[in-house]
Amino acid sequence: MGYLVGVDIGGTFTDFVSFDTATNEIEVWKNLSTPGDPFDGVLDGLTKMEHLDGIQRLRLGTTIATNAILQRAGANVAYVTTKGFRDIPFIQRGNRKAHYDMTWIKAKPLVKRRHCYELDERLDAKGGVLKALDDNEVRALAAKIKAEGAVEAIAVNFLFSYLNPAHEVRVKEIFAEELPDIPTSISYEVLPKWKEYERASTTLADAYVKPLVGRSFATMNKRFDELALGGRVAVMKSNGGECSFDAAAAQPVQMTVSGPTGGVVASRALSKLIDVPNLVTFDMGGTSTDCATIINGEENFTTSFEIEWGLPIQVPMIDVRTIGAGGGSIAWIDKGGLLQVGPQSAGADPAPACYGKGGIEPTVTDANLVLGRLNAEEFLGGDMHIDAKAAHDAVKRIAGELKMGVEETANAIVQIANNNMVGALRSVLLERGHDPRDFSLLGFGGAGPLHVNELMVLGNIPQSIVPINPGQFSAFGFVMTDARTDKQRTIQQTSARFDQEVSTGLMSDLVEMAVNEVREQGYSDELEIYRTVDLRYLGQNYELQLPYGGDDFTDAGLTDLWKRFHEAHQARFNFHIPGETIEMVNLSIAVVAPSPKPTLTTLAKGSGSPKKKGERAVWFDKAFEKSSVYDRADFLDGQQVDGPAIIRESASTTVVCPGYVARADAYGNLHIANKRS
Amino acid sequence: MDPVMMKILDSTMVSVCREMGITLMQTSYSTIFNEALDFTCAIANRDGDMIACAEFCPAQIGGMPLMAKSMVKEMPLDQFDEGDIVLHNDPYRGGLHTPEHTFFKPIFVNGEIRGFAVSIGHIAEVGGMVPGGFCGEATEIFHEGLRVPPVKIVSKGVHNKDIWRLLLANVRTPRYNYGDLRALISAVDLGERRMKEIYSKYGADVVDQTCNDLMDYSERRMRAEISQIPDGIYPFEDLVEDDGIEDRPYKISVEVHKTGDDIVADFSGSAKQAKGPINATLGVTLSATYNALLHMTDPSIPKNSGCFRPIRVVAPAGTIVNVNYPAPEVGGNTETHPRIAGTVIGALANVIPHLAMAAEGATHGNFVFGGVHAATKEFFACYDIEVVGWGGRSFADGNDACDSINGNCRVTPVEVFEVRYPWRVEDWVFREDSAGAGKFRSGVGYTKTLTCLNDEIIISQMTDRHKVAPWGLNGGLPGDKGATLFMLSGANEWLDASQAYGKISPSKYSNISIRKGDRVRLVMPAGGGFGDPKERDRESLREDVVEGYVSAKAAQDIYGL
Repeated sequence: MGYLVGVDIGGTFTDFVSFDTATNEIEVWKNLSTPGDPFDGVLDGLTKMEHLDGIQRLRLGTTIATNAILQRAGANVAYVTTKGFRDIPFIQRGNRKAHYDMTWIKAKPLVKRRHCYELDERLDAKGGVLKALDDNEVRALAAKIKAEGAVEAIAVNFLFSYLNPAHEVRVKEIFAEELPDIPTSISYEVLPKWKEYERASTTLADAYVKPLVGRSFATMNKRFDELALGGRVAVMKSNGGECSFDAAAAQPVQMTVSGPTGGVVASRALSKLIDVPNLVTFDMGGTSTDCATIINGEENFTTSFEIEWGLPIQVPMIDVRTIGAGGGSIAWIDKGGLLQVGPQSAGADPAPACYGKGGIEPTVTDANLVLGRLNAEEFLGGDMHIDAKAAHDAVKRIAGELKMGVEETANAIVQIANNNMVGALRSVLLERGHDPRDFSLLGFGGAGPLHVNELMVLGNIPQSIVPINPGQFSAFGFVMTDARTDKQRTIQQTSARFDQEVSTGLMSDLVEMAVNEVREQGYSDELEIYRTVDLRYLGQNYELQLPYGGDDFTDAGLTDLWKRFHEAHQARFNFHIPGETIEMVNLSIAVVAPSPKPTLTTLAKGSGSPKKKGERAVWFDKAFEKSSVYDRADFLDGQQVDGPAIIRESASTTVVCPGYVARADAYGNLHIANKRS
Repeated sequence: MDPVMMKILDSTMVSVCREMGITLMQTSYSTIFNEALDFTCAIANRDGDMIACAEFCPAQIGGMPLMAKSMVKEMPLDQFDEGDIVLHNDPYRGGLHTPEHTFFKPIFVNGEIRGFAVSIGHIAEVGGMVPGGFCGEATEIFHEGLRVPPVKIVSKGVHNKDIWRLLLANVRTPRYNYGDLRALISAVDLGERRMKEIYSKYGADVVDQTCNDLMDYSERRMRAEISQIPDGIYPFEDLVEDDGIEDRPYKISVEVHKTGDDIVADFSGSAKQAKGPINATLGVTLSATYNALLHMTDPSIPKNSGCFRPIRVVAPAGTIVNVNYPAPEVGGNTETHPRIAGTVIGALANVIPHLAMAAEGATHGNFVFGGVHAATKEFFACYDIEVVGWGGRSFADGNDACDSINGNCRVTPVEVFEVRYPWRVEDWVFREDSAGAGKFRSGVGYTKTLTCLNDEIIISQMTDRHKVAPWGLNGGLPGDKGATLFMLSGANEWLDASQAYGKISPSKYSNISIRKGDRVRLVMPAGGGFGDPKERDRESLREDVVEGYVSAKAAQDIYGL
């Protein structure tokens, strides 16, 4: 028994959640982050805990890898590839971000062309050796790299290596002998999948952050050891699973979206806890909003993440769509006289006008103040001084240009911001073939609960939920997670010609690899193994992913699989092609070591509404309406309030619109729905 | 007008179009769709005006309004039933070229047509003289594949099997064609469904009114941009180097007349139509002119038919910019289009150089091939697209290896290409010193070398810029030309198609038989430079030398380092 602790190191704040497994009590707190050495902020926050030795497990979400990539602060990387193909990272795919923009500048890869080297080796399209690797040439290249002195990490990517890793593995061995201080990432270990550019880009990203992440994690590991916490601390990966510091440092590209996964893991846990199988999450902060989906109680994974447009990282990660819209997004008028919101953000400097730090541009937060949805006296539980007049003046400035009233303008700002965010919801729902009417919208982050009611209406989502502690929901996710490793491999079989023996062998190898990787990190409990396959009609180039049960590929298992593919294609694309040959492209294995989960306490039963704390005028649509004000902490299980209403808590405010009702469940989560439903 | 509703509806409709495109990409069979993304999805109103589109292929976007209007003219609205889908590819009925297959699905709201969901895609194999659709030596439209006037391929939700049988009997790769056409249908099905939801949510009249407001808004924004250009008459010309039939160049000549907030692009000085397939239909010339102007104006203007209202085009019938039936024209849409767009950009560069770009490589390579795959015994056909160097700009170098502005296509990965087709890719490398020199140099071109692994592959090509270099601007130098070279098995010399196979044109030819071990090298052009090379920032120049884009000798001789 002891504490499960989640720590989310963000740009401004480091959030903490601790769960006492003996008493089932949750505590949340936050303190300022320390970008110079993030560990200082973590340590500072941990001093709030009386007994560090009472920590059973501490999990960290970190943006070290993300920031190194986004700020282009990684290592000098060398790229080593097949003779004739050193320009693949620069050629990329040849298309561009917008269809009509002559000012567009193509993304630069994470490597200089002068550090791109070729080796005279070649595999054919079936993985056979056309030109064998020459050890001497590899050693000569190592000597050259050493002599030049600039290279800090190496990425190796040979054509068709996903079918046969021998050459890449050999290069890694030789480099380890010749260049022991320079880490080497090989594409077969990072992303054993076809399409050489996407694999190159992903492998380069891994090498790019490896030295930095390695150093940083080694330091943290050491300092946790000094606190006698060694072995009880883990890092969050982009796939929402935890892993050891060593495993993370060995494949840092797995940390690309470490931070935002917490909210998704917490959402998955919530989905199971309160039995709401389909959630779309909406984590709105100051500068950005993250959206993701939980479908049938499970999170979704993607392999199409991009650092910036055109620079993919294709390792499987939790599918989180981030858009640059948040409370700090600035409202402005374009050349044609249309009101626009974002993508520029006031951020922390100059900050929204109401912060009184010199910002004069109206932001979404300022608009919320004008509309009475936020209240100057209650901001962050009253801990922060807010200038309501500055907000009003800022909105008034553009209201004049639009020839609209101040409140109408503020309302338009919020609506346009909502619409931008609905665009993100649409991209994770409709663009993937999901019907919003089958979902609940889960709003968290500092600003999520303010917008969640209007967004659910705009997005055709029938109900929304504001979880407990919405401001620290991501860190809460870290106390709910498991260890997880994902592996994939290209397999290339068809329904017409399927080699069951070879494919079963490949699957067993992959399972063994993943299981070993989890065991090596010290997770020895019973493991869960999930197998999925990527299928398409022979000729298509994109796949649908379906689960496959069982250790072997058998006639019965495959017959069922092909049938399920036709059904899935019909469901996803509204047609299928009876009798067409189906191709199996990739095989994916996920191994999960489940960890003990907190049991959450329930509230006492109540009825009616909690005590009203006051009233204030809040603008909805075309006018101010008198709205009741409640405190979140007063809600009992089953109590509900009618909109228009404002529900206050320290780190956020929930807005309930007219015609809607908010009801607390047994755990204190608020469910918002239309009164008539 | 309700500006908030406009903003909401515009982004909603654009994301519907995007969703249609994702469906197309994910379900189609040919690499020209699923890797290259040579398609466009749009929503039109019942008059055939485009009201929204997503960021796919500009050539098809600009061509859409004329295509939709021609279809509605031939097939009046009262002939449609709910659940119908019309297929149409005829260049002589408002289309762009035969491979461009367009599907229209009417959107019915309460028994009345409100608009159409539209998907346009380039079908890789369309029958005709050569596998892969681009016949460099065609002299009639009939050589270029099967023409399909507007026909109901789906009637009241039921597929018309007779039309399917007719279509699929006339192409070399029916299984692939079926997959691609089915994907295009799936896209308009989706577009229609989504638009119906939008109509029922906001009310049909509100949506129609808002779409009209949106088009007016885009027109206003375009006019505001055009007003910034000084009034005047600005001429420019460029050449299509030959037509595959006769060895002589064809002039594309424009006079851009700018008065107030109107633009007239007059192409009257252009060459008479060619015997070979480089002719542009009127639809192509409109699309190319729109394309140039949309590239020189604010990218944030919503892309709908309102953008096109301030722009008029004069293109006399019987010229290379408005071809008469039944001349061939498959290359007009890929090669002549960027040449036309380039002349408009070049003309306006006189007065708004800060918004211009020197010539880009302005070809898609259009290397097409087919044959019977030794391993699968199935007929294959491929339309392979290659990319070029973009021209230098007043504020930045041209992008290296980037699709010409009439497409927004991707190159096909080596690993996909070799798995599908019996070629081995030997190399794919940037060309040092290919960039047009300038204060801002162009992007570089590349070469790609292929070795044939099949007993036979039949190849054809429809490209340009092998003889006429891409021009520079403001003292920038021309960029390097492209080439297609052959080395027969056992030989040791690279020859062009004229030298090796006696073809009239090295860039436009049909049905060359490539045998096992023969090699083909595609050399893609760069663009032109912008500004005097002597003024190039020395730091950037030194970086170019270290990075291998500019040789030390060129840095000295041309840039004066």
